[in-house]
Amino acid sequence: MAPLTIASRAVARSSALRLATAASTSTNAVAARAAISTSSALQDASSSSSSYSSPFKGESNSSKIPDFSKYMSKGSGGGNQLFGYFMVGTLGAISAAGAKSTIQEFLKNMSASADVLAMAKVEVDLAAIPEGKNVIVKWRGKPIFIRHRTSAEIDEANKVNVASLRDPEADADRVKKPEWLVMLGVCTHLGCVPIGEAGDYGGWFCPCHGSHYDISGRIRKGPAPLNLEIPAYDFPEEDKLIIG
Amino acid sequence: MNIANSTLYNTLLRKNYVFVGAVFVGAFGFEMFFDTRMNKVWDSINRGRQWKDIRSKYVEDEE
Repeated sequence: MAPLTIASRAVARSSALRLATAASTSTNAVAARAAISTSSALQDASSSSSSYSSPFKGESNSSKIPDFSKYMSKGSGGGNQLFGYFMVGTLGAISAAGAKSTIQEFLKNMSASADVLAMAKVEVDLAAIPEGKNVIVKWRGKPIFIRHRTSAEIDEANKVNVASLRDPEADADRVKKPEWLVMLGVCTHLGCVPIGEAGDYGGWFCPCHGSHYDISGRIRKGPAPLNLEIPAYDFPEEDKLIIG
Repeated sequence: MNIANSTLYNTLLRKNYVFVGAVFVGAFGFEMFFDTRMNKVWDSINRGRQWKDIRSKYVEDEE
């Protein structure tokens, strides 16, 4: 039994050795081929470029125009042309309406809403103001001068030569009713509040930098460039004034 | 149909300024139509909830 096993082992070992040598020679061959493959592959590519064949088979002539006759209009095509123009025009009209609406709504959004405007009005009872007296009311955080002018004061305001004024404005343009002078009590120089019934011209005097306003609120002397501003106001009925 | 014989083409589309003018006029008309239509839709959705619908319940004395 023992010599047989030894013999079989020897056979197996020798065959395994033969296989291993065969495998090693084959791997050697592969490695050697890989070592020279780069240069030989380049050589192959350069040699084959002279005879290039397109990968897109079947397109013998790329400038050949396909046949569109299947898609062409059966008639002269005028109806299609009209339809195209119609669609362009309709889409243009809708786009124009949309653009206009967009801009308009944005601008509308920036202006004050109706409830804000309603809160920003001030109502004054004029019957309580005697002739020749000033009243100061607050409107949108700013003082408003209301003066019940006497007829002598109205005459004085009209007598002034308008062309000689720094900010030429006739008295009739500054009042809605001559006996009621309504104006914003903010000096046009730097925004102080002028003092009533003071100054060289019998109107208002700004104590900050010495601007003199006349009985129509026009600048006569001092640094202010403009007349006292007139707010939007209205007399909805007799003896009632609404500012704003 | 030959396009040069079409009245629509000859009146509106032949001159570009006429075409553009027609587009703007169309935009104006479309906007009027669309706005009134959408306002009607809005009012019908909100029927009975807007001030103009309930005003008669609160304001009677004014003529």
